[in-house]
Amino acid sequence: MRKHCTMAELLAVRDGQGNAWAQAHADECPYCRHELDLIYRRVSALRALQAYRPPRDRWDVIREQARRERRGRTIRRWGWNSLAAAAGIALLIGIRSIPGTAAGEQQTAELQDLMAQSRTLEAALHSYDPNSRVLNGRAAGIIADLEDRIAVVDAGIAQVDRERAPNTELVNLWRNRVDLMDALVNVHVTRANYVGF
Amino acid sequence: MTGATAAVIGVLDDVAVERAKTGDLDALERVYRSYEGLVYTMARRICRSEEDAEDVLQETFLEVCRSIRGLRGTGPGSLTAWVKRIAASKALMRVRREKYRDADEFVEDGGASATKPPDLGLQLDLETALLRLPETSRAVVWLHDVEGYTHEDIAEMMGKTVSFSKSQLARAHTRLRGWLGGES
Repeated sequence: MRKHCTMAELLAVRDGQGNAWAQAHADECPYCRHELDLIYRRVSALRALQAYRPPRDRWDVIREQARRERRGRTIRRWGWNSLAAAAGIALLIGIRSIPGTAAGEQQTAELQDLMAQSRTLEAALHSYDPNSRVLNGRAAGIIADLEDRIAVVDAGIAQVDRERAPNTELVNLWRNRVDLMDALVNVHVTRANYVGF
Repeated sequence: MTGATAAVIGVLDDVAVERAKTGDLDALERVYRSYEGLVYTMARRICRSEEDAEDVLQETFLEVCRSIRGLRGTGPGSLTAWVKRIAASKALMRVRREKYRDADEFVEDGGASATKPPDLGLQLDLETALLRLPETSRAVVWLHDVEGYTHEDIAEMMGKTVSFSKSQLARAHTRLRGWLGGES
């Protein structure tokens, strides 16, 4: 024969989910009534514990990262469509503008190589899932700056494409893009290693 | 509804929530200012350290900024429930991550701190007793008894069963009862 309710039974009674025996016992047993009363008082005391205030204001970091993510989404949306088109056309221009020359072939090969490097770095960046990481203010600032510079270079690539500008300028822009992407990936890799993920 | 939640509802109105849903950063800052205390307190109660709680605060509001467009309803009540749910999930995720790092910290019946009996004759205050609970038990007691989540909600957020949540709550209360004594 059982003597008193277990803690699980008392909690179930408190939540209105107790079985018939526990409910009836808790009503008539002074010991269990007392234990039930202690639960109520304990929970009231838990609810009355002091609220905390964050020791530091995190909004600036959150806002900066939210902006960065939005920029990233915009760049990806705008960038991948226009950049892919620009890259295709640029290759055609490169091939047509200096047909048959050794210098032209070299530039075209270099352009293809730079585009491939850029794609590899984009994939590396994607694999680090940068948007899901918590950043400190300094890292967020560096990343925002690099992304802004990449956006400017991307706009330049699109512009050169529209103007059918000389191939050399296009190669330089793509080289610049690869350097900036490389720096951006390095920041994320360093950050990821630092936090141990 | 806790006093803190009521205060938030007093500060944010439907228009502010609607503006935040458009992604307006000023409106989102108002949301942050209104809820930072609520979220940080929950995170401090569930997580192991102040630093973890700060990270939960940051992760929660980044998620709010990312996903608020998809929030159903514009009432501050639905926003409160939504923000709290995100915060609870982020805090529990951090607890899980910490558990994987310290694989031996939490065995079925509690962590290292739980194996240490309180000194005889020493009655702990509630704050200290709460800290002595294993993280999972502490999370369950806080989410169920203070934040008002059901065992079904907690089981879903933890990826565990309803029975697990119930047994963690019972263990937490048994320990608190032992540590706090008659609580007179």
